[in-house]
Amino acid sequence: MPALIRKWKFPFLMLGPFMILIFLFFFLPVILIAVLAFTGMDSSMQWTFNGLENFKHLVSDPNLGVILKNTCLYVFFTLLINVFFGLILGILTTYFIQKESIGLLFRTLWMLPRISPPVVYVLLWLWFFDPSQYGVLNSFRAFLHVPPEKWLASNPMTAVILANGLVGASYGMIIFSSAIKSIPGELIQAARVDGAFHWAMIQDIIIPAVRWPLMFVTLWQLLSLLTSYDYILLLTNGGPLYSSEVLALYSYHKAFENFQYGYGSALAFILVGIALVMTTILWKIFGMNKLMGSSRIE
Amino acid sequence: MKRSTAGILATLVLGMGIVSGCGGNDTKTVPSGNASGVVTIVAQTAGEEKTRVDNLVQAADELNKELKAEGKNVQVKVKTNDFQGSWDDYAKQFMLAFKANKAPDIYATGHENIGWLADGHYILPLDSLKNSKAYSDVFPTLWNAVTYKGKIWGAPQDTEARPVFYNKDILKKMGWTDQQINDLPVKVEKGQFTLDDMTKLAQEAQSKGLAQYGIVHRPVDGPDFSEFVYDFGGKLYDPAQNKIVFDKPAVAKQLNYFYEIAQKKLIPDHLTSMDWTSIHKTVVNGKTLFYYGGIWNVFNWSQGNYNDKLGKVDAKWVNQHFGMMLVPAAEKGGKPVTLSHPFVYTVSSQTKHADLVERLLELVAAPKYQVKHDLTTFHLPVTKSAAEDPAFKADVTLGNVSYMTNYTTFIPNLDKFPQYSKDVFNAIQAVELGKQTPDAAMKDLEVQLKNDLGNELEIVQ
Repeated sequence: MPALIRKWKFPFLMLGPFMILIFLFFFLPVILIAVLAFTGMDSSMQWTFNGLENFKHLVSDPNLGVILKNTCLYVFFTLLINVFFGLILGILTTYFIQKESIGLLFRTLWMLPRISPPVVYVLLWLWFFDPSQYGVLNSFRAFLHVPPEKWLASNPMTAVILANGLVGASYGMIIFSSAIKSIPGELIQAARVDGAFHWAMIQDIIIPAVRWPLMFVTLWQLLSLLTSYDYILLLTNGGPLYSSEVLALYSYHKAFENFQYGYGSALAFILVGIALVMTTILWKIFGMNKLMGSSRIE
Repeated sequence: MKRSTAGILATLVLGMGIVSGCGGNDTKTVPSGNASGVVTIVAQTAGEEKTRVDNLVQAADELNKELKAEGKNVQVKVKTNDFQGSWDDYAKQFMLAFKANKAPDIYATGHENIGWLADGHYILPLDSLKNSKAYSDVFPTLWNAVTYKGKIWGAPQDTEARPVFYNKDILKKMGWTDQQINDLPVKVEKGQFTLDDMTKLAQEAQSKGLAQYGIVHRPVDGPDFSEFVYDFGGKLYDPAQNKIVFDKPAVAKQLNYFYEIAQKKLIPDHLTSMDWTSIHKTVVNGKTLFYYGGIWNVFNWSQGNYNDKLGKVDAKWVNQHFGMMLVPAAEKGGKPVTLSHPFVYTVSSQTKHADLVERLLELVAAPKYQVKHDLTTFHLPVTKSAAEDPAFKADVTLGNVSYMTNYTTFIPNLDKFPQYSKDVFNAIQAVELGKQTPDAAMKDLEVQLKNDLGNELEIVQ
């Protein structure tokens, strides 16, 4: 026993503070949500436990169908842009643009929306989609003498996916470009000597090299997208009607606009469940345990 | 295993402790009869109308003089806060401040919030205030707005009217004489000019190319939409059951009305996604014949550069170019309506100086303070004595609409009413955008309301 303590004392001392932080800021909120999901807490903020009432309410909620559909559409298509567009950006700025300074400049530019406050970034999109003739898209239509179109009202989901997809692609871009950079130069040169064309290079060298980052980014972005709603809130606020409302935003609206904290927590709790299930499935599909396992070369 | 179970339990207890520990629901009010020195009273409001709290600062000077004369060793200092943000955030901020034991002593808010504020024990009942001399001549109907579960929970601060603004210039171009234009509110009051006539007139103005739109209403959810239920003879609240009423025949007519004006292209086709600035610009630049507005819009238009040529416009300009009328009756000879949304002072149950706060609220009800606030922000007074004030009566805008109090209605102050209002607004949006017919929207609305309000809903077939 003393030997065991001696063995673990130092790692525990080093990891201890982080474990406490993780517990306070990651586990505790989940536990609180789980407890709150079984209460009818409303604007009076009283802990009135009501059993499965919130979940019964959820099943009969007439908006749930459309919100789940929206969530699937939003997560799937945004993820598609995040991952594939991120990969294209990564390949463009590392493989096709060989000069590092230019590639770096391009990547930095693409990172700008990520580091600028969402309100500013969304303002640009709102201007782009403005329903009057002064909006960017509508000014092109005005140039062709076509009447203005109310883009955000008629295609809210497309706007939401585009805005989120483009800003999210920068994350994949950074991960992929560093993975591509780490491919040994000899490998590329040897392929060139063998007469490989760009497509063969991408297919046979780059894609296999970024396999793990690709899976990691997919999983990471999927989890972020499931719970993110800030751009949607600012761009369309889930409307018109419920046409761009996703589960995370619905939970926010219920808890912080209608002050149904209990019901909002039940929705968030479902979201946590979905995230866990999706992580497990993708973990299995991708065989991520191989990534985490010890190296086979040693 | 045992250790992990204990860990989870400890977390639960800790988590609940953290959350409930923040709560201060049972804070006892300490009478400040023995208070001495300088007592600070915090008063909070939201929005541009800061006279709501600034008046309290001036009333505190009077209170201090009174206290001095009484030989008491206490002086009151009022600290004011004004919140800039949405009404939802304003409510949320109060809840969190309360849980942190930092609630303002006086919280000015719309009367519809009284339900949840009282249910959550956030505020003190103020029945004694109703019996005070200062509030003895409050328009009796206004007490209904602050009564909840048989008690008075707020001191009426101001009220207003929601008139329909009509553009005089457009009517002139349509060949109306000045006499006819100025008589329109009277015809509306007598029930000779109905909602249907208003739609036809809007169509005429639009077809002649004199107005881009016939009718414009607010772009977001708000109390305005509820006045149509009253106009179509329905009700929103059953006091006997203390339930929100879903009056199906009246709501169906309400949805049909918005469907009709949208189908006839009288409203902008993206009205519910427009922002307030565009709404004000549309109205002030004469692009619409009718606008379902509020009397306080006269104040808004004097604050922002909405007119393309003139920028800010004053009340005199507004009265030259716009007339104000009640919402016309649905049927010939019927009663027109308007809706008021009285603002009220509520007193936090965390206040340590309930008696001083009460005395302050009595002083601030004096006509001079009300009139100052009303004239600056275009609201209506809550007491008869303030309504009789010569300065108030002389105001061209307010003088024209004070009769509307006779036709006024209120929204219920039940805590679930905002949810009802949001659901109905969604249905209105659905029919206006042409996504649903009124019948389909009614069916969905019923399911939605049953789900959202549960036992607190009463359905009238």
